[in-house]
Amino acid sequence: MKTRILGFVALAAVIGAAVNGLFVVPADLNQGDAQRIMYVHVASAWLAYASFGVTALAGLAYLIRRDMRLDALALAGAEVGVMFTAFAIWGGMMWGRPVWGVYWQWEDPRLTTTALLLALYVGYLLLRRLTDDPARRAARAAVVGLIAAVDIPIVHFSVIWWRGLHQGPTIGDPSKILNPSAPLQFVLALLAMLAAFTLVWVYLLIRRYQLARVEWQLEEDARRGRVAAARQVAVPSGVEEPAG
Amino acid sequence: MTDAGFVIAAYGVILGGIALYAALLARRLGSARDESGRTDDSDSPR
Amino acid sequence: MNDLRRGLSVATAIARKDALSELRGRQAAGSTIFFAAIVLLLFGFALGPDSRRLAEAAPGLLWLAIVFGGLLTMARLHQLEADDGAFEQLALYPVDRRAIYAGKALAGAAAMLVLGGLLLPVVAILYAIPVGAAWLPLLAAVVLGAIGFAAIGTAYAGLTVRMRAREVMLPLLMLPIVAPLLLAAVKATVAALGGDPLGELGSWLQLLVAFDVIMLVVGAGTYGFLLED
Repeated sequence: MKTRILGFVALAAVIGAAVNGLFVVPADLNQGDAQRIMYVHVASAWLAYASFGVTALAGLAYLIRRDMRLDALALAGAEVGVMFTAFAIWGGMMWGRPVWGVYWQWEDPRLTTTALLLALYVGYLLLRRLTDDPARRAARAAVVGLIAAVDIPIVHFSVIWWRGLHQGPTIGDPSKILNPSAPLQFVLALLAMLAAFTLVWVYLLIRRYQLARVEWQLEEDARRGRVAAARQVAVPSGVEEPAG
Repeated sequence: MTDAGFVIAAYGVILGGIALYAALLARRLGSARDESGRTDDSDSPR
Repeated sequence: MNDLRRGLSVATAIARKDALSELRGRQAAGSTIFFAAIVLLLFGFALGPDSRRLAEAAPGLLWLAIVFGGLLTMARLHQLEADDGAFEQLALYPVDRRAIYAGKALAGAAAMLVLGGLLLPVVAILYAIPVGAAWLPLLAAVVLGAIGFAAIGTAYAGLTVRMRAREVMLPLLMLPIVAPLLLAAVKATVAALGGDPLGELGSWLQLLVAFDVIMLVVGAGTYGFLLED
């Protein structure tokens, strides 16, 4: 099974990147060991956004082609995405406490945007859970996923302008790691973690997609079973079935 | 909590969470596949 | 050209129907406005009694009251169709979905505008805010906010009004989406009231316009899929 192999490769990659980030790479001069958190925090955030891109695009494709497999992919993206978003926020908080002194900073645009991202996609998942009819669920979810995806860039720009005149914390600036003048070792460590996480992401997407497909089949079987049973009850009584 | 504590909390929850989710998926997939394998209505398209 | 004209007449017909049912609607609209005013009052109890702090918070509180009242408003505007099964009828009718959306959104924006407009004097009194001087930019902010809220509210109300747990689903879906609208509207209001010392009023209004345009386009584009339900 190719997916299983991918799973093991991803596992090895994550272990390697984690060991590298935790023990091999030196600590930052200003932020100390806390800076190591950036590797998993940034990687989680990027994959969170990638996941929701998948959800939005798969949903859009579903509206066009009405293929339930696309809906399964959208669901997989959303669930995996919510997980990585939660991780990104957690990582941000764990980093923020030692570096900023607080768990939450309203002036950090990425933290606030990510929190909204979480809210948007938890709503998406709840909407799905509360809709029973598969076609209706897929259509509604696709619309919501699309609108959420469109909202994110608006949120991004608005919170950056919002912070505008308050200069963000410069020493404890999380984007420092993305600065081109960051030490090479840090950049490589981040890339390694990102690569490892991406492998994990693909693996999880595949598995969640497969699960969605099987669960949908089960749903269909149950529905067809109910229809067949109902038909069996109606006919033997000799009642004339109305046309159409 | 020292800095190391926060680092452990971060990596622990994130990597542990990934592992948990992967395990959960594997279990749900296994049981769902079992359940659908047992169904023998032949007119459902695959 | 014929399509456009037909679409416009459908849109105005729907908007007019909604406006009439709002006006006749057994004080439902009035109740919502009163609810929003009570919310403003309650904010006073929650954050007061220091009037300086309340004055500083007033723009934010105003827009929160508009948002909460707006949620009820948007739900109400779609409840009638939902109860009558009219959505299914509309879906069968061979008219451009975007026209239906436009009509509903227009009615929604008008209702929101009334809500916002009536809350301005309430906020002016309760929090001692000089709204009179800055009425034009304030009006612009309220108009743009109303349009944006109605744009997304029409789509989501149409979606949730026939759902289980509909009372919580509409706010749950809408609140994260309107966060940038809220942010920009409050910032614009603050700038307007303070005489715009930093010259940022224009930028915030532009953000509102961008939000409105994007949400109107996406809402119109997807409304058909929600009707076909």
